Order: sequence, then C-alpha cells, then structure tokens
Amino acid sequence: MTWISKSVTGLGLLLLTHACYSAHEHSALHSTSTASLSSMASHTAVASTVASLPIDISIETVVAVFVICLGLVLGTPELRPIQWRVWAGKIEREGEKGFTNSDGNVDKDYVGNPFRMLESRPGFIDIRKQRKEFAEWVREGGGTAGASKS
Amino acid sequence: MLTERELQINPIVQESVLHNTKTLTTLHNLTASLFGVGAGILGLESYLGFVFYLIFSLITSALVYAFRVRPGIVKEYFRSSIELWTGGLFEGLSGFVLTWTLFYGLVRA
Amino acid sequence: MAQIPVQTIHRDPQLFYWILIPITVVMILTGILRHYATVLMATTPKKQELPAIREQRSLLRGINLRTNANAISPVSFQARKDYLVNAYEKGDFLKEPDKKGQAAPNPMTDPAAMEGMMGMMKGNMAMMIPQTLIMGWINAFFSGFVMIKLPFPLTIKFKSMLQAGVATRDMDPQWMSSISWYVLCIFGLQSVFNYLLGSDNAASQMAQQMGQMGPGAGAQMFGPGVDPDKQFQAEAENLSVLAQEYTLVGVEERLLETVRV
Repeated sequence: MTWISKSVTGLGLLLLTHACYSAHEHSALHSTSTASLSSMASHTAVASTVASLPIDISIETVVAVFVICLGLVLGTPELRPIQWRVWAGKIEREGEKGFTNSDGNVDKDYVGNPFRMLESRPGFIDIRKQRKEFAEWVREGGGTAGASKS
Repeated sequence: MLTERELQINPIVQESVLHNTKTLTTLHNLTASLFGVGAGILGLESYLGFVFYLIFSLITSALVYAFRVRPGIVKEYFRSSIELWTGGLFEGLSGFVLTWTLFYGLVRA
Repeated sequence: MAQIPVQTIHRDPQLFYWILIPITVVMILTGILRHYATVLMATTPKKQELPAIREQRSLLRGINLRTNANAISPVSFQARKDYLVNAYEKGDFLKEPDKKGQAAPNPMTDPAAMEGMMGMMKGNMAMMIPQTLIMGWINAFFSGFVMIKLPFPLTIKFKSMLQAGVATRDMDPQWMSSISWYVLCIFGLQSVFNYLLGSDNAASQMAQQMGQMGPGAGAQMFGPGVDPDKQFQAEAENLSVLAQEYTLVGVEERLLETVRV
C-alpha cells in the first residue's frame, strides 16, 4: 500500500513540476513577444500581457493536483474507530497488528488491551498457589545452586 | 448528536478521536499548500481561486471517504459527518494563500 | 471605458532570488530553530513535596470521581462521596492545614511560583526574540521593495499594511512589499512545519498562542495565588450536588433489545 501511495505522489509531483515549468515558459515567451509586437505596432494598447494559459497546461495542472491528492490520501494512516466497543473489539481481534503504521512499527499511542486491568486484577490472584510455586522455585533454585557448588 | 446518557452507555475513545482529527488536519494542511501551487500555476484570481480551493478540498474529503472510511459508516470514525467534510478547511486556508501568491508571482514574473 | 486598466509593474527577476527566497528560507529555518530551542529549554518538572502532591492529587481524585460517577454503583458512589466531601470540608488534604482560611500568599514571593513564571517567560522569549530580530533584519535590508502581487483584490484599507515602506498613492493594494510577505509567511508556513516537524511542534506562533491557553488552564488549577482551600470547598459542593445515575441500570433490557430472535 505504501509504495503505491509514494509512486502516485511522485508521479503527480513530476506532472506538477512540468506544468509549472511550462506555464512559466509560456508566460515568459508571451510577454516578450507581446512586448516586441507592441513596440513594432506603436502602442496599440495591448495592456493584457496576462494571457490565458493553453488548455493542455491547465489540464495537466488539474490532473497533477488530483493525482498528488490521491497519493497523499492513500498514504494517510488508517483511521481508528471511536466507539469504545468497536475499538476494544479491534484490539482484541487484531492486537498490535491493527495499530502498526506504514513503517511496520507499532504506533506510539497504542495503549494495549483496555481490559488488561480486569485480567490482572490483584483481587483475583490466588496468593496461596503463588506462594506454593515460589517455594517450589526456591527449592529447585537452591538445588541447582547447591549442585553447581559441589 | 449523542445525548449524555448514550455517551455513558457507548463511551467514545478520546485517543482515537484525536488520532482521526490529527490525520485529517495533517492531510488538509499538506494538500492546501498543493492546491495553492495549482491555483498559482493556473493563474486564478480572486473568487476563482477560493472556489478552486473549496472544490479540491471537497474532493480530498471525498477521497478520504472512499478510501479510508468505508462507505456508509462515517459515524464509526467521526462524531458527525460534518467533521469529515469541513475538518481542516480553515487551517489550510493560510497555507493555500501563501503558496498561491508565491506561485502566482513566480510563474508570471 | 469604465474598466480600469490592470497595473503591470515590470519587476527584476533578481528580486525573487535575493529577497523573496531568502525571506522564505529564513522563516522556515527560524521555525525549525524555535522548535528545537523550545524542546531543549523545556525544563523537567521540579520534584514536589509530598504534601503538595497529595493536595493536588486529592483534588484530582474528586474531579475524577465526578466525571466517572456513572460507572460505579450508587452505594460505592455514596461512600466515596461522603469520604471526600467530609475530608474536603475539614481540609484534611491541605498542604498546611493550620493555614486554612488565610489569604493566599503573594505569588511574587513564592519561589515555586517564580519557577512557573520563568517557564512561561522562556516560551514567550523564544517567540518574541526571533520575531523582532527578523522584523528588524527585513526592515533594514529589504524595506521599500515591491515584491509580488496578491492574486485576489483587496480594499484600500489594506494598503498601509501591505505596502509598508512603499509610499506611493496610486498603486493597487494588491501589490505587496517585503514586510507583508514576511507576515504572510508567518501565517502560511504552518503547514510546512506540520510536514517537517510533526503536527505537535512548537515552531509556529499560532500553535504557541494556542498552547499558552491550553496549559494555562491546567496551571491555573494549581497555580500560584489560588487558594487550595477554596478549590476544595468548591469541589465538595460540586460533588454533593451531583446527581448520579448508574449506567448499568436497565442493562438487561438494553442487551435483550440488541438480540434479534
């Protein structure tokens, strides 16, 4: 997706630069030619040096602007659902994958599962079981330490 | 608009709202300068230039609608559809005027 | 006959190379510099005394309870409300409980208050100094050049603003001098900074002014010169008049409504 947007934007910028250059050349050429004409024709009141652009340059400009616009829109990050339940559901379903930007990094403001507070609530911890596990671990750890010592 | 009670029942994620608005504003800021370049090259004057800006901003919003908001559910991403269509319209205007003037002057030197 | 001929002024293209582009480049670079200067100058918040933190946090606790009141059951809300209102009215959380009822100290003498003011001053300085410098630079070097033509017509009132330093009576107000290009740059470069520095930058004056209003509200809450006791009393009153409505009331009906059989 991202290389599409970049190439479309690049193409549009190229077109726009070309259109800009052509318009500049056109106006420069036009002003010099009218200046020489008016000096030859002895002030026939050609006040309007501002000539209308050729139609092809106009079309090129409009197309270029539209194409860049398209590229930029394709390059914007995904919008996020604002309703809490939709948003939380998206996080539950997709995890970090749904919140990565185009570079593959997780966004800075990704907050993780909004319900993780509920899942790790201190009131639900089985403290006796954990104590037993800890005692188990100490015994094993002491065993390995003793084994390494001997 | 949602009433207070509905807001309590279906809460809104403030971070997501901020993210969406920021995305839209950044896009409009960028594109506004671009439209200024276009208008300057075309040599548009007075009202025509502002109409150009308005039309292309609406086109941008329509593109966002088509590609980012899947059609039919604006409510899922923005609090109201007005936010999508007019968001960033006025922030971009100053950038538009700057580049418009610059390219208008540069092209018709 | 009635049509006014369009004024055309032949300008040297050198004007663009030596005035327009330098001003624009300098404006962009100044914005970037200001952004990084603000980032560097941002002081880390000073470590606060325990009672001061307790004072602030307990006030915040009341506010949080008020905003999230509907998420807890009426019994829990009542218990929390009774505790907080009682403590607020007695002044349990005050930094100096014995000073209750006295007037707030003069903010100029309080060293903690001076700190906050210095921060605000620095922000203002970072905005003001480059602005005056560049203004003086443009006035000294580039005043009196007619640079560029605005593509839209303006009324005659803008003439003095746009053509500062160009004292001609008959020139169309669309023509701009270098000073007005500078002003246009100030307002229009916002999007460029947005692109270069990310959207929450400190480069543009507009954002600075907005920012001063934003954190101003937050600082006002615990700022110097505000009597914390008064805030506690006000919060106690807010809490006691709050009408709480539990969100989960009637949740069964709502759930059943969503189920299509």
